[in-house]
Amino acid sequence: MSYLVMSVFALMTVYPILWLILNSFKPTPEYRVNRIGLPRTWTLVNYAGAWKIGEFSKLIGNSFFYTIGASIGIILVATLAAFAFAKIKSKATRPIYGSFVIGILLSIQSLMVPIFLEVSQLDRIIGDLLRLLGIIGQQNVNVFYNSRFGVLLIYIGAGLPIAVYLCTEYIRGIPDSLIEAARLDGASYFEIFRRVILPMAIPIAMTVTILNITKIWNEFALINILVSKTELKSMPLGIYRFSGSMASDYGKQFAALVIGMAPMLIFYVIFRKQITKGVFAGAVKG
Amino acid sequence: MSQQPWKATEERRAYWSMISPALFLYVFVFAFPIIISIVISLSNYAGGKMFGGDSWRVTGFQQYVRLAGDPYFWLAMKNNIYLVLISLFGQLPLGLIFAYLIYRRIVKFGEFWQGILYIPAIISVIVIGIMWNIIFSPYGLIAEVINRAYAASFSRQVEQIFAAAGGFRVSDEVVKQLITASGPNALEIFAEPVEELKTLLLAYAPDQLEVVKQDLVNLLARKWSAAFLAKRDIAMLPILFVVLWMWTGMYLILFLANMQKIDSGIVEAARIDGASEGQIIWRIMLPMLSGVVVNAAILCIAGSLNSFDLVFAMTGGGPARVTQLLSIYMYDRAFMGAPDYPLANAIALAIVIFSLMLIVVTKIVERRYGGRE
Repeated sequence: MSYLVMSVFALMTVYPILWLILNSFKPTPEYRVNRIGLPRTWTLVNYAGAWKIGEFSKLIGNSFFYTIGASIGIILVATLAAFAFAKIKSKATRPIYGSFVIGILLSIQSLMVPIFLEVSQLDRIIGDLLRLLGIIGQQNVNVFYNSRFGVLLIYIGAGLPIAVYLCTEYIRGIPDSLIEAARLDGASYFEIFRRVILPMAIPIAMTVTILNITKIWNEFALINILVSKTELKSMPLGIYRFSGSMASDYGKQFAALVIGMAPMLIFYVIFRKQITKGVFAGAVKG
Repeated sequence: MSQQPWKATEERRAYWSMISPALFLYVFVFAFPIIISIVISLSNYAGGKMFGGDSWRVTGFQQYVRLAGDPYFWLAMKNNIYLVLISLFGQLPLGLIFAYLIYRRIVKFGEFWQGILYIPAIISVIVIGIMWNIIFSPYGLIAEVINRAYAASFSRQVEQIFAAAGGFRVSDEVVKQLITASGPNALEIFAEPVEELKTLLLAYAPDQLEVVKQDLVNLLARKWSAAFLAKRDIAMLPILFVVLWMWTGMYLILFLANMQKIDSGIVEAARIDGASEGQIIWRIMLPMLSGVVVNAAILCIAGSLNSFDLVFAMTGGGPARVTQLLSIYMYDRAFMGAPDYPLANAIALAIVIFSLMLIVVTKIVERRYGGRE
């Protein structure tokens, strides 16, 4: 009985995905008559078409750039702050660290409109300033809006609360005596961070980074409002093009969806243990 | 403290330079946008330059008054509450039960089930939204399965009708029975069902019974349509189902990891004393996991209130806005058509305030009824 329930649920989980993958290998005309069975003719033509329509060759590089850049940025900024919060006494820690912890629950998606206003207005101000100084002519300035730098900045900021929280709790567990010993040897706090804290924080840094990689690769809501140029977009934006209106070309639609989920599925197969650990760590908070 | 003053200064300098990058980004991404949304939601800002240039000013609370009387806002709110409810009373209990089954080794190969059930959570929500949109569409998996079932049952009825008539004989009686069996379908296709279907059938040669049956099924068997999903109160059902489908695995992992910290001796002892599995979940596991359950509930609430991608990709809030969520409504106001930034920002703040409120309520409930782990 228990096995039955479990199997039914597991089948319900996997079957739609398998169905999608199988159909991506059928030519569209075949899908119209054979919606459930295995493909009679296997073809990659859908993939070639979807890859072209989605302009994925332009997007995949961006996805890697945002994912890697923001993950590294988050972990560097977060461990640095976490070290200060955990090991240097200051009255400022309570309010500032506290606001990071609250930030875990403030989902950034609900702030997308003000964030859009912020980045676009900042660009205008910078543009006006530069024009005033006669540095540029009439062209638009894209420092925060429609820029890779802007996306990275927002992504790093969005990932910080949970990362700062996890790293601070972890670094608190590192014995003070190690730091005091290094202090007595005359090491500065930055040296201690680099030589003592960073090497010891590798396990939590791995967990946080793996969690971030999956989140950032799949992120849609923010980048959707932060960039409008194709050459800055990421994979999820390309896949979104295949929603709804493609109704006559199922093959390409299926292929695009498989292109969209394949990287993370492979990542999951390789790092399943660590991802599971990350989910667990990310959800435990006070 | 025997620290020399210069050391204290160095310490302070190190502290602030270490937290400043994080602090700056936090202000940039959370604090400042919240301030913007407060100010803009109280103003008549209509796009254009915010500083210098076009004039705009703070005008008061009329955006919030507008929201309070806006039926679309309340519809979105209701849909958000449905999401919260399915998360709290669907994902959490299911995740807990599955976790328990694995923990107690009532089902073996726990790693395997865990690995499978978590798969949806790793895939881009955009992909999942589009995938389920196809699956629920008239050309999708569900329609195909149901239509096959309809066709099979209709074909059986056709079989019986002809068997009763003793072979392929076209009479008024047979035609009427066929029309009844087809449900409303024949009435929609033909203006004069009996006459037209009879003419049609007479065009076949008497030995073509199998062909006739096949054609009848193709023509007259009922077809499933998802039109009912446009109705207000059930349009959310597919979305709620997908939400359940996606996130149950995450809560399974969360609960299982915490159960494994519990001393299995306690459960064994309870078993020996004759407690049923249900009693163990209710009396032992839940109290011991109460802290985790509250955290999971907070995650659920925050996640449901903020969900955007899934509905955006799956229905876009349609048809006719019946699956609209607060976040989608906000997006529409700000980015579709003429921007209404004050209203959009008022919605943003409303979401932030609702999530904070619900979290406080959950915390109070926990203090009252549940102990900490």
